[in-house]
Parts: sequence; structure tokens; C-alpha cells
Amino acid sequence: MKWTKPRIREI
Amino acid sequence: MAHPGRLVVAGATVLRFSPHVKFRFDETRQRWVVLAPERLLLPDELSVEILQQVDGKHSVDGIVDALAMKFDAPRSEIFADVATLLQDLADKGTLTQ
Repeated sequence: MKWTKPRIREI
Repeated sequence: MAHPGRLVVAGATVLRFSPHVKFRFDETRQRWVVLAPERLLLPDELSVEILQQVDGKHSVDGIVDALAMKFDAPRSEIFADVATLLQDLADKGTLTQ
């Protein structure tokens, strides 16, 4: 699988 | 040192969620969420993969090893991205040792 930078959105 | 007592995330670091933080599947939104005091975190698919292994047992190295077997990227790149993400969450108090 392709790796992409993990991101977390914060509310 | 600028931050005495600051938790520095390294390969051997074993992290878990802080007592007041919940990581769970939200049925209403049909997605994984992190519930923290006055904050809602919406992790993307890859972040969920990482956070599901943050259980107070797996070290950062262990988490990265598992991901490196699953994804086609150099381990060093995966380690850097995972460590950055976990360090940010540790700095915010979402994760602890």
C-alpha cells in the first residue's frame, strides 16, 4: 500500500 | 533545556492515551475519533492505523516495523512521519507514557 503522511484534523 | 520534563518520543518509547482521552469508533460519524477535553480529533486513515497500536504495549519501533511491512515506503520515512505525529500528540497531552 502507498504511504502518505498521517494527518489529524483538530476541532 | 527548553522543556524540562517534556516527553521526547523515540524508537523505544511506549505510549498510551492519557486517562481523560478516548479513542473510539463513532457510530454517528462512521469514523474513528479521539475525544479529548474541549477537543475533537479526526485522524485520517493512516493516523487511525497508527493510533490503533498505541496501547501501552507497542513501542514506536514496533509500530513502525508493522507499518513498514504493510506500506511500500522506506522505514526511515515511516519512522519520521510516525514520530512527528506521536510527538505532537504527546506535546498536547493526548498521549502519555
